[in-house]
Amino acid sequence: MTKSLIFSLLFAVAGMSVFAGGYQVRLQGNKSTGMGLTGTALNLGSSSIFYNPGALSLMKNKTDFSIGASGILSRITFEKSGSQYQAETDNPMSTPLYVYGAGKISDKWTVGLGVYTPFGSSTQWDNNWAGKFLIQNISLKAIYVQPTVAYKINDKLGVGAGFVYAHGTVKLAKGLNYGAGTGVELEGTSSNMGFNVGVFYTPTEKLSLGVDYRSKILAEVKGGDATFTIPQSVQNTIPAQNKFDATLPMPGNLDFGVSYQASEKMLVSFEVNWVMWSAYDTLKFEFEEKGEILNSSNPRKYKDTFIPRLGFEYKLNDMITLRAGGYYDQSPTDDDYFNPETVSLNTLAFTLGMSINPTEKLSIDLSYLQLTGQKTEKTYSPEEFGGTYKSAAYIPGIGVSYHF
Amino acid sequence: MKIKISIIALALTGMWACQPELNEFTPSKGNADFTTYMSAGNSLTAGYSDGALYKSGQQNSYAAILAKQLESVGRTGEFKIPYIETEDGVGFRGAAMFTKLKMGYSVDCKGVASLSPVFANTEATQQELGGFIGTPVSGGPFNNVGVPGAKVTHLLAPHYGDPAGLQTGTANPYFVRFASSTTTSVLDDALAVNPTFFSLWIGNNDVLGYATSGGVGDVITPVEGNPGFGFEASYGYIVQLLKTKASAGVVANIPDITSIPFFTTVPYNAIVLTDQAQVEALNAAYDAHYNGAAEQLGLPKIIWSLGQNPMVIADASNPLTMRQITSDELVLLTIPQDSLKCGGWGTQKPVPNQFVLTATEKEYVSNAVIAYNGIISSVAEANDLAFVDANAYMKEASTTGIKVDGVTFSNAFVRGNLFSTDGVHLTPQGNALVANLFIDAINAEYSASIPKVNVNEYNAVLLP
Repeated sequence: MTKSLIFSLLFAVAGMSVFAGGYQVRLQGNKSTGMGLTGTALNLGSSSIFYNPGALSLMKNKTDFSIGASGILSRITFEKSGSQYQAETDNPMSTPLYVYGAGKISDKWTVGLGVYTPFGSSTQWDNNWAGKFLIQNISLKAIYVQPTVAYKINDKLGVGAGFVYAHGTVKLAKGLNYGAGTGVELEGTSSNMGFNVGVFYTPTEKLSLGVDYRSKILAEVKGGDATFTIPQSVQNTIPAQNKFDATLPMPGNLDFGVSYQASEKMLVSFEVNWVMWSAYDTLKFEFEEKGEILNSSNPRKYKDTFIPRLGFEYKLNDMITLRAGGYYDQSPTDDDYFNPETVSLNTLAFTLGMSINPTEKLSIDLSYLQLTGQKTEKTYSPEEFGGTYKSAAYIPGIGVSYHF
Repeated sequence: MKIKISIIALALTGMWACQPELNEFTPSKGNADFTTYMSAGNSLTAGYSDGALYKSGQQNSYAAILAKQLESVGRTGEFKIPYIETEDGVGFRGAAMFTKLKMGYSVDCKGVASLSPVFANTEATQQELGGFIGTPVSGGPFNNVGVPGAKVTHLLAPHYGDPAGLQTGTANPYFVRFASSTTTSVLDDALAVNPTFFSLWIGNNDVLGYATSGGVGDVITPVEGNPGFGFEASYGYIVQLLKTKASAGVVANIPDITSIPFFTTVPYNAIVLTDQAQVEALNAAYDAHYNGAAEQLGLPKIIWSLGQNPMVIADASNPLTMRQITSDELVLLTIPQDSLKCGGWGTQKPVPNQFVLTATEKEYVSNAVIAYNGIISSVAEANDLAFVDANAYMKEASTTGIKVDGVTFSNAFVRGNLFSTDGVHLTPQGNALVANLFIDAINAEYSASIPKVNVNEYNAVLLP
């Protein structure tokens, strides 16, 4: 008989499971989180390093520090087409965090440094679930370090730019059809670069406009570890230990925002994010050994999305500020190429937030984000795996900002 | 502050528990009554696999899987299976008994170890195996009356479970085990279940017995003839009797043998010559003893060359009693590999006919399959039965492959996931796939909603 036991390995990609926007997380400032995750046209201090470096130049204070974290509690339920089979994820809580510091070094120039985690969650299906040959579990973590400079052109107009160093780690596992406990685990890291530029303009005292562009970053894993847990007899064909290369695009974002001080107490913020997901067309894996059998090219066919966001801030008194917001996030996935590694559904989100100012300089920022992924029937046609997905996520967050 | 923290903690716990709910599928029996399901058929229905009948194979038959899925649409009571109390199993090669096959290493005549099917237990004696199969099973009537080796005509045969008929071949040891009496027929025992719904997958052995013996060990059941002799009348009569009890049922047709790895794994040109001296020696020998006569008779000469060469096979219809096999003829999986590698089979000696299905034999088989399938589909239609086109499905698997939930099913031996190590019968995963085919057909015919099974709960061939 033929000894070569060739099997197709269709590898999964790292995924942020609960966010409609593929695997992007925008929890980069608890004040923004409370306001529907808007921020492009807000002058929020040092968190502008992420949302719009242009706004940094018009920062109200000389020095501003901000630190915070969120806890993502996400749940996904899957029901297989034509059956009563259901599966649920058992995702561990993930905790994206951020630290920003910015200071004015002259009247015109502001510098800052941001460290934040725009990717960071994991999806854990049962090892023996129906989709185990597509994905069992996946965890993706990315940490971005962004030194930033901003320049104030005049009192109404500022620009800013940041250099982004992105370090990513990915770990994923999928089953192979050799019986219980067999499968492959892939683990790798990436280090890549990008940038973040923005313009901030306040034509009147009440009105602010912002435009920000964050570049696409290709997270390139080179020489990641591939461990195949396979029967001894198959190891003649497939080495148990192997190395792999893969590239996952972190898409570019172009954000347009407008905010308006409707009254002394009420601030309204509206923005649209253009997320250039079409960069994520195919996920390729190349192996150092036995590439002729193992290499795979997996269609993902993501489409660009536009996310409208709306947020409100209400200054109750000198101690308390309240926030609320919402947005609608369309799934960038294709109906026929929907892989359970990234359960990205059309998502309705609403947010709540509150800042407590014990002193004038200190602010404790609480936020709460709730995501409801709309029930959708999807298929990954290359593997003929389909069913109905529904997701939900509950994300409380807390942050502290201090300025002087 | 403490209170605040506990409120937050409570809220978090509450949120954590908030799993999204889905309820997309509502089972429905449609126009059929699934209260009592009975499955009749042959080895495929019995759950025979890896060349033997064994307990977990029986548990994983498509019929047993289907019975489980029918629970949500009104099936009640135990789905009784006449279990054989061994995991090693019992299979026959002629009169000799063997255990099931598993994947293992065997050393060939050249001392090369390779992965291939080996017997799961070589220590088992004939007496032990005979004990397993010879122990009568009580507790009938059984819902699964699949009998390995049974043909259409056998289902109607009285005394098919009579131990007295084992020597003469009028009885079947797999039915003797659980037949309700010495006089009963498979169909009588099937009817004794009082089924409200039945499945019938029969007819494979009516050609397979002939085909797996290379056209020498059995005969193809004729289409014409009375019930108990001809295929058409027997099949119609079986369904007619089943319909006296069951108002609804499902039947499946027969795959082509070219979809089955037993016939497609060993290539016709399996003779690989790597030594020029051997090529020359063979050519000299054939020139001296064969090619001259062949030329005179206007038959093709046999010429050897480096690389792959078609086997030389015995053929009684050929004036020279041997010839080279053609590319559209089939070599059976059971051909002794050592005889090919070291015994001179296919080069110095013609491969015996029992290991080859010649073009003529293949045509007999394929004509019979076409005729049987025509009968099966028209009987299904005339009786408003659900119809599973297993032939088309297996053909698709063997040509393009069928992808389901990340698994590719094909007729590739062992690695095709569909067929077990005997190259004829299904893996547990293959059985689950077939159960879903039956469900699709039943749902379509009776406007029912039977939930499909998760194919990936079942294994394909396991490797060492």
